Amino acid sequence: MKIALSLLAAVSVVVLSGFNPSGSSAQAQDTVKIGILQSYSGITSLGGQQTDSTIKLFMKKYGDTAGGKKIELVRRDTTGPNPEVAKRLVQEVVTREKVQLLIGPDFTPNTLAAAPILMEAKVPSFVTGAATTGIVGEKSKYSTRTFFAVPQLCKPLAAYAVKNGWKRVFVAVADFAPGHDCEKYFIEALKEASGTLAGNLRIPVSNPEFSGYMQRIRDAKPDALFIFMPIGELSIGILRAVNDSGLKASGIKIMGTGDITDETYIDAVGDAALGTITTGIYSTQHDSALNKEFVKDYVALNGAKPRIGWGAIATWDAMRMTYDALNAQAGAKFDPEKFVSYIHGRSFESPRGPITIDKTNGDIVQNIYIRRVDKVNGVLENVEIETLKNVGFK
Amino acid sequence: MSSILTVLFNGIAYGFLLFIMSVGLSVTLGMMNFVNLAQASFSMFGGYVMVTAMQSFGVPFLASLPIVFIVIGALSIVVERLIFRHFYNTDDLTQVLLTIGLVFMSIAIATYFWGGTYQRIDMPSWLTGQRAVLGLTLETYRIFLIAIGAAMAIILVLGLERTQLGAMVRACVDNRRVAGACGLNTDLIFALTFAIGGGLAGLGGALSANLLGLDPNFPLRYLVYLLIIVSVGGMGTISGTLIAGLALGIADVMGKYYFPQFGGFVIYVLTVACMLWRPHGLLGRQT
Repeated sequence: MKIALSLLAAVSVVVLSGFNPSGSSAQAQDTVKIGILQSYSGITSLGGQQTDSTIKLFMKKYGDTAGGKKIELVRRDTTGPNPEVAKRLVQEVVTREKVQLLIGPDFTPNTLAAAPILMEAKVPSFVTGAATTGIVGEKSKYSTRTFFAVPQLCKPLAAYAVKNGWKRVFVAVADFAPGHDCEKYFIEALKEASGTLAGNLRIPVSNPEFSGYMQRIRDAKPDALFIFMPIGELSIGILRAVNDSGLKASGIKIMGTGDITDETYIDAVGDAALGTITTGIYSTQHDSALNKEFVKDYVALNGAKPRIGWGAIATWDAMRMTYDALNAQAGAKFDPEKFVSYIHGRSFESPRGPITIDKTNGDIVQNIYIRRVDKVNGVLENVEIETLKNVGFK
Repeated sequence: MSSILTVLFNGIAYGFLLFIMSVGLSVTLGMMNFVNLAQASFSMFGGYVMVTAMQSFGVPFLASLPIVFIVIGALSIVVERLIFRHFYNTDDLTQVLLTIGLVFMSIAIATYFWGGTYQRIDMPSWLTGQRAVLGLTLETYRIFLIAIGAAMAIILVLGLERTQLGAMVRACVDNRRVAGACGLNTDLIFALTFAIGGGLAGLGGALSANLLGLDPNFPLRYLVYLLIIVSVGGMGTISGTLIAGLALGIADVMGKYYFPQFGGFVIYVLTVACMLWRPHGLLGRQT
């Protein structure tokens, strides 16, 4: 009798799923496909690695279903700042893989290339690795930024420097679009704070030798040096040069955006980074229960190296909002409009501190921390020394 | 005045750094007539050997340098015997394609073993910071670079351009069949020269890592500089490589100091001008 019953059950399952056309569409509705468009190869592969590690941790903790729907990931490699590749991949995952959500693509040119497709297909996306001003908003109303916007990091140090009596500031930026933006924001803010510009330099993005620049900065006799460089070789190079040339030893304060002391590369800078003052959105040292738990779990699952960077926290918050928004529409068909309107305007506590997603823009409002590089238990860390609350993205 | 002298000193040090990095390529490309772009990969592995020796085995920095030379020299013999020797008689384009392929493979290999991030490079304390010399404050590591670069230049010029070995290498390159007929073991000489070139490249990587950083992308990032120095200096001359390195190093640092808005541009302008003026390089021989 038992056997007969289970046989009947098995047959009815086959019949239902095989022959009922609405059965297969119900099946599809029970999953939500998320496209993960990050760089997994070459010199930018740390970004993809960090995104994966974070998602793995999130799904281990909160399961692989949200709002009754199973989460399915579709990974693609953008290979770096490469808009043609990113555009093709977005097209592919949207039309062929039918993803309903997207984390990425990374980098500003990729984000811009993806925007029109995502807009037309109504696919909500999270910007977790591009910081240029204005890349979320009107023309991409389905996008949400969980990273940061350049002005958030570039402006605050001007007032901070003047407040601390470092009135003459020298500005050195990388010679590319975000560098020019940052230079503009910083110099404006410095004027507002009635500080003086001791001089400025634009350093080519492919530059192995800094000593000529260092001498120029030294000749200008500034109180402080403000640096904006992309994460990686330039940041490492300039911090080591500042130290080796004796600029730092001569008493000039070294400041910059958090890119230059990013945790994933700071060990390569070594003790030359000590004392550097930066603005940042997240430090693994942030003092909150939520962050301590996040760091502990992350290291337990993924190991201590590579260290946790900003890409991880941006991805974590994207996953947090995705799960919350899916839970909010549990039992119903996935609705991108509802998804976005749930997220935009939302405030919540992230491991980095409180954040708000702007209601009209989808951009992020968050605390900016002024940090100083110190050794904590023998490891170089960005220690938060001051908090600027709810800094806007403009 | 002291600013100008400091900038000049930094330029000379950078020039020696360029020389140290590219002299290995100058040996294989110039003397052996083999376009080995993978020379930059040997440099990178030289850096990794140094880092591994220092961090995992506690070898002091200076002692790690001969280890780098021997390990990378041996590695290049292996690569030469397995791969390169089959391509000595092919045209330049084939050699370029082959060796650039090897560069990409080396990047993947380095990422696999050492990870994608930059390595932490800790110099001994006597090589860090600044020293007062004749009233100038100079970087200690740059003084060290100038000293070691000058020593290498002297040894190489005397050793490879003035000795019997050097003559044998040139004989083999100019006409391999005749050199063989005269009783020279051409295979051995090529392998040995290749090992010296590789070892020098490794040394260049180890010595430059402190200033340039070290990650798997190292070969692609600095390959252009190696090619510039070797072609401006002229194929097959150690002294040409030295002069080119110094000239471009000084021009680069001076350019960045006096005309920061043109910054990194100076080195390329000079290269183009030099190649138009002397297509075979400063000290290159007409072939």
